[in-house]
Order: sequence, then structure tokens, then C-alpha cells
Amino acid sequence: MRKFLAVVLSLAMALTAMLAAVPAFAADEGVINVYAFTTEVPDMIQKFIDSNPDFGYKINTTIIATTDGLYQPALDQALAAGGADAPDIYCAESAFILKYAQGDMSEYAMAYSDLGIDIDNAIAAADIAKYSVDIGTRPSDGKVVGLGYQATGGAFIYRRSIAKDVWGTDDPAAIAEKVGPGWDKFFAAAAELKTKGYAIVSGDGDIWHAVENSSESGWVVDDKLVIDPKREAFLDLSKQLKDNGYSNDTQDWTEAWYADMKDAGAQKVFGFFGPAWLINYVIAGNSGGTQPGEGTYGDWAVCNPPIGFFWGGTWVLANKDTQKADAVKQIIEWITLDTTEDGLQYKWANGTLNGEGGTKDTVASGTVMAKSNGELAFLGGQNMFDIFVPANQFANGKNLTQYDENINSIWRDWVRQYTAGNCTREEALASFKQAVTDTLGIEAQ
Amino acid sequence: MSTSKIALKHSNDMRKGANPIIYIVCIILGLLSLFPFWVMVCNATRSTYEIQAHAISFLPSVSLPTNYEILNGKTFNAVSGFFNSLIVSTGVTFCSVYFSTLTAFALIAYNWKLRQAFFTLILAVMMIPAQVISIGFYQFMYKIGMTNNFLALILPAIASPMTVFFMRQYMLPALSLDLVAAGRIDGAGEFRIFNQIVIPIMKPAMATQAIFAFVNSWNELFLPMILLTRKENYTMPIMVSLLKGDIYKTEYGAVYLALTLSVLPLLVVYLTLSKYIVAGVALGSVKG
Amino acid sequence: MAKTRVKAVSYAKYGYLFSLPFIVAYLIFSLYPTLYTAVIGFTDLKGVARNFKFLAEPFKNFSIILNNVTFQNSLVNTFEIWIMNFIPQIALSLLLTAWFTSRARRIRCQGAFKVLFYLPNIITSATVAILFATMFGYPIGPINDILVSTGMIEAPFNFLTSPIAAKLVVAFIQFWKWYGYTTIVLISGALGINPELFESAEIDGARPSQIFFRITLPCMRTILVFTLITSLIGGLNMFDIPKLYIMDGGPADATKTASVFIYTQAFKGAYLYNRAAAASMIMFVIIAICSAVVFFIMRDKHEVQQKRDERRAKRIHSKRLEGLAE
Repeated sequence: MRKFLAVVLSLAMALTAMLAAVPAFAADEGVINVYAFTTEVPDMIQKFIDSNPDFGYKINTTIIATTDGLYQPALDQALAAGGADAPDIYCAESAFILKYAQGDMSEYAMAYSDLGIDIDNAIAAADIAKYSVDIGTRPSDGKVVGLGYQATGGAFIYRRSIAKDVWGTDDPAAIAEKVGPGWDKFFAAAAELKTKGYAIVSGDGDIWHAVENSSESGWVVDDKLVIDPKREAFLDLSKQLKDNGYSNDTQDWTEAWYADMKDAGAQKVFGFFGPAWLINYVIAGNSGGTQPGEGTYGDWAVCNPPIGFFWGGTWVLANKDTQKADAVKQIIEWITLDTTEDGLQYKWANGTLNGEGGTKDTVASGTVMAKSNGELAFLGGQNMFDIFVPANQFANGKNLTQYDENINSIWRDWVRQYTAGNCTREEALASFKQAVTDTLGIEAQ
Repeated sequence: MSTSKIALKHSNDMRKGANPIIYIVCIILGLLSLFPFWVMVCNATRSTYEIQAHAISFLPSVSLPTNYEILNGKTFNAVSGFFNSLIVSTGVTFCSVYFSTLTAFALIAYNWKLRQAFFTLILAVMMIPAQVISIGFYQFMYKIGMTNNFLALILPAIASPMTVFFMRQYMLPALSLDLVAAGRIDGAGEFRIFNQIVIPIMKPAMATQAIFAFVNSWNELFLPMILLTRKENYTMPIMVSLLKGDIYKTEYGAVYLALTLSVLPLLVVYLTLSKYIVAGVALGSVKG
Repeated sequence: MAKTRVKAVSYAKYGYLFSLPFIVAYLIFSLYPTLYTAVIGFTDLKGVARNFKFLAEPFKNFSIILNNVTFQNSLVNTFEIWIMNFIPQIALSLLLTAWFTSRARRIRCQGAFKVLFYLPNIITSATVAILFATMFGYPIGPINDILVSTGMIEAPFNFLTSPIAAKLVVAFIQFWKWYGYTTIVLISGALGINPELFESAEIDGARPSQIFFRITLPCMRTILVFTLITSLIGGLNMFDIPKLYIMDGGPADATKTASVFIYTQAFKGAYLYNRAAAASMIMFVIIAICSAVVFFIMRDKHEVQQKRDERRAKRIHSKRLEGLAE
């Protein structure tokens, strides 16, 4: 024990010595603080710095995953505390961007125009999707405080072979006619697919984003909870999917959901609702292959969804207190509005940011996508931009609130209870209202 | 109660040695404990998409090098994370175990006026739910400029109510005040009596609490994440959390590899300290 | 008598001196946050605002919380899940302690078993939660696959939307994660017992079970109090697993414990710090009352009796003195 104590004591002493040796951090002149939840934006900024040797700044990144629920508390604290460690640039994703661009934290954001960006003309020139601008506009003064680099307008991503089996064609225009527009046609198509033993989607989560985005009003209007009829109808849509066997009754982001991307589920699944990132980061990897012919790879195509929607996305904001507005401006402009071949978005759309052959993704600027090549082997050679550029125009950025992340999760929990037969429709609605009032302090209308 | 019945039933033939049922129960429990470990180790060798398809597998795969590459990429520095965690956890362990034993000694060996009030206060502190307190704590740390300072994570451990409570409860029957008196007769000062007489008696208790303190501090994510904003200060759990990023971009294989790596030091600490949680360690000093 | 009292007084200063580090650290690091929490329960602090003012009706937040159906429900959940995990946990831990501290049974590989039992506590809750959620996956998942392929059920069962199943799984995880901890605490408590007691019992021919119930358990009373109190506090503050296993206490709030409720008040969407603080204080009172009950039940009856006798003797003595004076 004495030995143990000695070890502990000496460690403690070493520790004190080390702490004493840590220099007090002074405000670094040439450092830009970036808060982000993935390495994506920091990596971009690093690329910018590498390709602009005269830029004269370094970046210090604080990355905090959203998955542990700590990004927002940490960011809020850092913004409120200010000082040398405060972020100059910070990122927000669709789940919580409203809070930073329009809600409680929007006062901390600097308007793009105050950074010296000619914002209206730049947005028009880059042809930025309207939903993205709407979300990034602060209502108190009508100024744009956040824009993205990725466009996340959604499409219907379907299986070519199943389309041919059921309707004799896999042409995106023809399939779009079959599955939409509107839920009635979608469920008619589901019934047709069912006769041949196919499920139209994997689970009710797949249609949720389209349902959510189609509503007239958001969850909260004038501090009261509002259940838009189109969102309320999700109860019935979800129930229909399960009771008729139109889905495999999976939940998104679970094993069974991934399994449906390579025909490993109970029934083969016809399609998924999603933006380009769902193809790139989720379906492709889970298709059971890496080139056409393997698994379901190459057997996919995209068409217009029955109802326009968007899903996800990252917005980039600047701190109103930043001391390096000029540098911040250069970075933000390069990421969100630069339409040249040297701009971030051109490289992002063509998958060339980290050298040739990278992942192609849809970007915020329609101008950039128009001059880029979006052909994917995974989609059987289809140019995804043909579908995704218009998809971005169908998306609605006006029915969101800063409470959406939490209200959605409560809502979907109760819809699942109803669909599973654990409660009646009325009970589900009543419990949902009760839960929202109790956890968020928002009364039902 | 069924437990006592089982215990009674087995006790009849105890003299001959342990009942096989004891081994069967222990082995089943042991397998239950090993299960997540084995899955974790296997997943460390599997790719993200393999894990998404079947998160639970008892067979290793071939993606260990890829996972290691991701792990040692730009944002993840396992070595510095390890040392940061080691500094914090060792500091916390030392502060909480040593000072809690000292506080417990004060509560037991001396008769002072505020003793009962102090003990009640310690119990009360232990009972306050931690979530909201933490908000006040980190706001305060930001206010006094203790961000990016390990001391903000270490020094609060000097006041660890639960450890004091344990030490007191352990010391009550284990420490004979005659021993303390004997020490005084030998001319030892009070502090020396504590270090040379009391601490050896407390070895099993200190080892137990050291394990708990170390494990808890090693796995702590919330406060380090909010208080440490500079990459060079990140602890292991922060680095693991970084790999999770966003739901559609989680590098599961690397996450499991990082988890496996971050558990290894805990095992070493546990194995080292559990030597003291065996019969015979405390016996030498207890008399009367 | 007078002599010892003088002695006790002269050593009392060490009591203060040795408690000083604790007190100083507490004052510096914890007092402010605690007071802050106690105070904001009476204010209108919410959202990202840093300024607050006191409410005209000081107990408004408290009455809102007490009338909050979700909070009431979370209290019930907390007790249910705690009892479901604590009773088997303490039973198993005591059994293991009896086996592992028995001098008659020399169990082989004791060290290895002790390491194994504590393993579940070493892995982070996040990992444990993910693994269990995957195990009980629906419609595809290891447990469902086994149940369906062995014909025990016909179609996959949705463990993740069933409130009862979710509660049971959370209780099981808590049990599995903490029985090793409890066992180690109890074993270390048993090691503090004077071995002469065991030796004399053995000489008297006591069986292991008799030794355990007549000597080990009574001598471990103080550590049992610790185990009960800390399990109670830990159980009523149960947070990680219920929060992580199914999204913040789902499905249908079946695993929403009081702590998860407090967390969602403070950190989710609306940032109702004032109500979270009020709920924390209410929980504090509930825990304190429950702990007081445990302390009362587990009090050392001998000691209490002794003290009472002393007091009575004193009273009689003083009465007698009064009588003499009259």
C-alpha cells in the first residue's frame, strides 16, 4: 500500500508540475475558432487555408458530436461566454438551425451582409434553393445569417428491377407518375407493389420527412402547439403502411432498416425517401456491393417524390462578436456562395475536394449543379442533379420551428404506439399534446 | 427469501469445498459480462457497414487496419487523449480517495461539535440531482476562466460525498479507537497516525473506491466536453464521441476500436487495485 | 470521566482540521452551483437568457411540476424500475458475498470472477445501451431471430415500442451493470470484519450459513446502510440507461425517469431551467425522505437503546437533584 501511495503521490506531483507548465492561453491573433459537429466544415476550411497560402490564419476547431446531445449546450455556453475561445464560425444542422438562425440564439449570429457580402445578388447568382435561404433568414431583421453548402431536397429513391417487374419500366418520369403526386397515388402504387410481394417503403419513418414538409404550418404558432391536418394524417398513413403490409415495419437507423437496402428484410423494399446524402452515405454502403452487379448496387434510380421535402443539411454562421470579420467573410463566401470552379461547391458537387473520384453530392447552388456532372454508377448512370435541382425548389423552409427536433421525436413515438396497436388514435393525440406541454411548456391550441 | 434458502442448502456440504452450482452461477454471470466485451472487440475489427448490417457478431472481420487509420486520422490523437484522461483520472482518484478517507477519519476519530451536522450535510449533498447543478458549475467555471484547465475537473473531487460516506461506514466497525490512542501513546502526531495506522487498515476500502473513482472519471463525458474546448486537451471519451459525428456519418468500426482501446487502461487499473480487495489485507492491523 | 472529556476537547480541533479540505473544495466548486439551482427554481429563467427575475408567486414552478402529468408518471417509473432492479441486485450481491467471503468454501478463480462481475460497469452506458437496443431490434434482431427460429413466438415482437418490455430491459440493464459494483462494496465491507470473530465461530462449529447470517451480515450493517442509501440515491437519480436505451425515456415515456424528465426540461428545446431546478429540488426532498426512512429502519438498535438509557439515567439523576433542592 505504501508503494501504491507513493506512486499515486508522485503522479499527483507530476500532474501539478504539468499543469503549472501549461501556458495561459492568450487571444491568438491569427486563429479562427470553429465549432462544428463533424469534421466536414473544419476540413473544408483547412483545404481553403492550404490552397490560399496568403490567407494568414490558422483554425482551431472544436468538434462535438450531435449524437451525444452535447453540441448545443457547449456551443451556447461558448457563444454566451465570449472571449478569445468563442467561436468565430459555427455550424448548425437542420434539426437545430432554427434556434441559431431564427430562435433564441439568433442574436449571436452576424448577418452575412454585415460581413460585407452582397447577399441578395450573390444568392440570385448562385441560385440558392429558397428553403435554405428561408431557414437561414433571421425574422427580427430579415437578414440572412446562415447558408449551407449542401442541398438536401429529397427525391424518391427506388429499385429499377422492382419497377420493371411491376410496371414494366424503370424510367424516372414514369415512376414519378406512378408513386405521385400526393399520398393517394402513392398508396395505390403500394397496393400494386403488394400484389407482387413488394413493400413500397421500409417503415413509416421513410415517409415522415415528406409528410412533415408538406404541412401548411409548423408545430408551434404563437407559442401554441398546432397539429397541422397533414401531419395528423401521418397517424393514418403509418397505420395503413403497417396494417396492409406495405412496409416492413422498421424504424429508421436500425438494423432492419439497413437490411432493406440489400433485400435482406421480410419483403423486398421498393424505395426510400431521401436527399443525395442518403444515397451516398447510407444506401450505397448498405447495398451489399461496391459496383454494379453486386448486391443492389446499380439497381437504383431517383424520381420526383409524391410530395416535395428536404431532410438534413448544415448551415454555417458567423459570430457577431468576431474580431476577424474579413477572414470569416472569405471563408463563408467560399463555402456557401462561390460558384466558380475554385469554389467549394463545385468541388463538392463533382467529388473532387479531396482529389478525383470522391463522393458526388448535391450542393446549395443550382448554378454549380447545372455545370457539374452528377452521374452515379450506383444509380445506373443516372444524372442525379436532373432530379435533385428541381427537388430543392419543392422543399419548404417556412413551416419549421426551433422545437421541431423534440416535438418530432415525441410525435413519432406516439404514432408508433398507435400503429403498434398500443393505444387508440385519440389517446395518441391526447398523450402527444400532454407530453409536449409537459416537457416544453407549450400548450395545445 | 429464496436467496437464503439457496445459501442454506449449499452450506451443508461446504466443508468439502465449493458446490458446483456456485461455479455454474459464476460462469453464467461471467459469460454475461464478457458478451459486450467480445462484441466490442469483434466490432473493432469490422467495417461500419458490416456493423450497420449486424451490430452483434461474435466473429471478427478484417477491417482493423482501416479502423485504425480512421482512428489515427486528423482529429483523433489516441496518445494525447490517453495522457489527458490519465492525468484527469489519476488526479480525481487521488483527491477523492485520500481526502475522503481523511474526512471520514475526522468524522469518526474526533468528537467535535459540528460533527453530526457536517455528516448530515455530506449526505444531503449526495442526494441532490446532478443535471441542473452541472449547469451552474460550468457557467461558474467559464466565469472564473477555468476552461481548458484540468484542475476544474480534478479539484472538485476533494469533496466527494459518496466516497466519504463509504469510508465512514467502512471505518466505523473497522477502526478501533484504541489503535489511535495507542499511536498517541507512542508519541505519533495525529496526521502521522492517519497516514501510518489508519490508511493501512483502510486499504480494501480505498482500493474499492479508487476503482470506482477512476472508472467514473475515465468515462465522464459531459463536463470535459463542455469545459475542454481545445483539441490538445481532449480526453478519451471526447475523442470517441468525435468519431460519432452525425448519425449518417458515424464511423462505427473506429468507434468500437476506440472504445476497446479506452477500456484497456481501466482493466489494468482494476486488476492492479483488486489485489487489495481480498481477505488478509486489512487483517494485520485490526486488534480488539 | 472528567479527564476523558478534557482529552476529547483537546483533539476536537483535528476534526475540523481534517474536514477542512473537503469543506474548502465544496465551498469553491459546489456551493455556488447548488445555491444557484436552489434559487433559479423560484425565478423565470429559461431559454438562453442569462438574466432572471423572481416570480411573483414564488412556488409557481414547484406547483407546475407537481401537477405535471409527465413528472408524476416519471416518478412512478423511477420507483418501478428501481425496485425491479434493486431487489434482484441486492439478493444476488449478498449471495455472491456469502460465497466469496466464506472461509470454508475456497472458491477457485475468485479474482477472475470478481473482475468479470465488475466488467459491465466499466463499459460506458452509451455502448451498453446501443448493444441492448440492437439485441432487442425489431423486426430483425438477435433476440427476435432466436425466439422466432425456435418457434417460441410466431412473428417478431416489437420490444422497442412495448412499454412493459422497455421497462423490463432497462431494469435488467441496471441490474446487470450494478450487481458487480454492489458485490465489490459488500465484499470489501466483509473484509473489514475482525477475523477473530470468524475463528471463534468456527471453533464453536458454526456452519458457513450460520456464520454469514449471524456474524458477517450483522457486522456489515454500516456497509449495508451505505449500499441501501447509495442504491436508493443512484436509483432515484437513474439517468444514463433510461435516457440512452430508447430516445430520452421512450417508448410512450415508459422509461422516462425523474432525472430524464429533469434533463429534458433543462436541455431539450425549451430550456426550462427554472422548472428543471424546481423538479431537482422536489427530487431532493423525496430522496431525503426515503433516505431518512432507510436510516431509521437500519439504525443500530443497541446504540439507540444505549443512548436512550444514558439519557434516562441523566434525567432521573437530575430529577433527583431537583427533588433534593426542593
